[in-house]
Amino acid sequence: MRLLLIEDDELLGSGLRDFLRVDGHVVEWARQLGEIDAYRGEPFDAYLLDWQLPDGSGLEWLSARRERGDVTPVLMLTARDLLEDRLRGLDSGADDYIVKPFAPEEMVARVRAICRRRAGSAGARVRVGAVEVDLISRCAWLNSERTELTSREWSVLEALMLRFGRIVSKAELERLVLGFESELASNAIEVHVSSLRRKLGRELVETVRGMGYRVGGPA
Amino acid sequence: MRLQPSASIGGRLIRSLVLWSVIWCAALGGALWMIVQEEVAELLDDSLQSAAEGLIGPLVQSRTEHVDPPVPPLASSTSGRFVWQLVSHQGPAHVVSSARSAPVSPLHDIPKPGFSNVPGWRVYGQATAQDGQMVYVAQTTEERVEAATEIALAALLVGAPMTLFAVLWLRSRVHRELQPLRDLSQRLARYDPMQPGATLGTAEREELRPVHAAIDALAGRLTRRLADERAFTSHAAHALRTPLAGIDAQLAVALREANAATRPRLQRVRTAAERLQRVVVALLAMFRSGAEVQRSEINVAALAARLPVEGLVIEAEGTTPLVADADLITAAVLNLMDNAQRHGARTVTFSTPGANVLQVHDDGPGVDSARRRELQAAIDAQDYDGRTGLGLMLADLVARAHGGGLSLPEQASGFAAELNLGSR
Repeated sequence: MRLLLIEDDELLGSGLRDFLRVDGHVVEWARQLGEIDAYRGEPFDAYLLDWQLPDGSGLEWLSARRERGDVTPVLMLTARDLLEDRLRGLDSGADDYIVKPFAPEEMVARVRAICRRRAGSAGARVRVGAVEVDLISRCAWLNSERTELTSREWSVLEALMLRFGRIVSKAELERLVLGFESELASNAIEVHVSSLRRKLGRELVETVRGMGYRVGGPA
Repeated sequence: MRLQPSASIGGRLIRSLVLWSVIWCAALGGALWMIVQEEVAELLDDSLQSAAEGLIGPLVQSRTEHVDPPVPPLASSTSGRFVWQLVSHQGPAHVVSSARSAPVSPLHDIPKPGFSNVPGWRVYGQATAQDGQMVYVAQTTEERVEAATEIALAALLVGAPMTLFAVLWLRSRVHRELQPLRDLSQRLARYDPMQPGATLGTAEREELRPVHAAIDALAGRLTRRLADERAFTSHAAHALRTPLAGIDAQLAVALREANAATRPRLQRVRTAAERLQRVVVALLAMFRSGAEVQRSEINVAALAARLPVEGLVIEAEGTTPLVADADLITAAVLNLMDNAQRHGARTVTFSTPGANVLQVHDDGPGVDSARRRELQAAIDAQDYDGRTGLGLMLADLVARAHGGGLSLPEQASGFAAELNLGSR
């Protein structure tokens, strides 16, 4: 997943960024609201948003984003634990709310859950034809036979699964999987898609000519 | 003088009023009796004198004309009340003539004009025109006392109902005048100074106006203080929670990147950091000023499943749902579990032995009866400092915040803490 982390605390921000990267995600880190402008137009699977930031309220930023039609899943990270705060956070457009201190493992699980919900799948396992994918354990099976995927292959598959039935352009897929590294390797996505088709069958990832890729296209 | 806590202003006022009414009535009655005695005696004396003056003429005339003793002119109106004697003091005193009911012997042996008392009689004497003769008109003392008593009784018959009426009226008046105090208590029970613009309202009596003003001022000070403390707690929460989360995130990354030799050491550090987190979170939850207990239904088995503590098996057997503040209960239970772990327990069992009661039992070595009683006494007295650990103190504060308390029931083995979470 490609995640935008918005957190001003250096210790927590760097810890979460590194934890998420070790976990195989692409993470961009903004230390204040003003830095988010640099990511305008960039696709993200989720925002990890702190409430209190040096240059404003994360909650107000989120409300404004929602008003502009941004539906990217948001997990609020905050030190505010009162019920009224949690309700305010959720009512302002957050998909979930986690109170500091928290275990980063729990945070990742919550991010996965809100992304799955946004993609229309409550469960962790998704079946597409002969392929079954477990989004939590990051395992894939072809005709019930487990198939090993590399981290990047998994990232491509996950990005497409989280946009099930939707056409994802190559540029968007590159950004989601590689982040800003995509500028350095222009054919990396084709390589990973090709590899996925070899391991999980040609039918899984459909190429929509001139538009991009899709998993779970119209039957 | 120190008042009993249950002393009632109304009761005390009524008792005082009744006591003073009785004293006042007794004093008034005494004064009335003395006045009646005086005035009645004076009136009767006047009558006695008038009777004597009216009698003397006919008596002297009858004696001059040597006729039979006269029928006294006032006899018909005064018969039964007055008697008379015409007494000659020429030589030994002797009765010349007298009324039929008069004493046989002279009322006075020597001439005695004016008012005088002889045993059983009040006498008025007046000299006649004839030398040595006196007319005495007398009335029995018994009759005079009877007249005075009749008047006093009549006064009492009128005064007693008036006094009773006055007592009842005063009682009702006291009750009515104390009503604003009762209304004030009800207003205070509904008064929430944390609500914007909350005031106690207009005082119903002039004397209560300063009380209302003082309560409103106190509420204002408390509200400002709570707002300050809430702001401080919020800042403190942010200042503590964020670095703790950062430490945990850094340790989680380090654990993933560490080699096999370093990993156990890092894991111990992370476990200690998690314990620190639990304590800080519990303290922040407990001392967030002004925050009320937010009750919701808690499934104990689900709560137990959400509380992983390294090295502890957690069981929840046949529990019923609790209605309590989930954050506070979690904080209390986590610290009890920490205690259990530090004292060598392997299993912690949650049960609900009563309505809205949560028991946390561990299979550790427990404490002996004397120590258990000592801990319970410290908890009951809320004298935690140096007598109980943080876990029991927090559990007790959480239970008290719910309107209940913490007890440490005797166990055959292990240690148990029971949180009574008050009524639902």
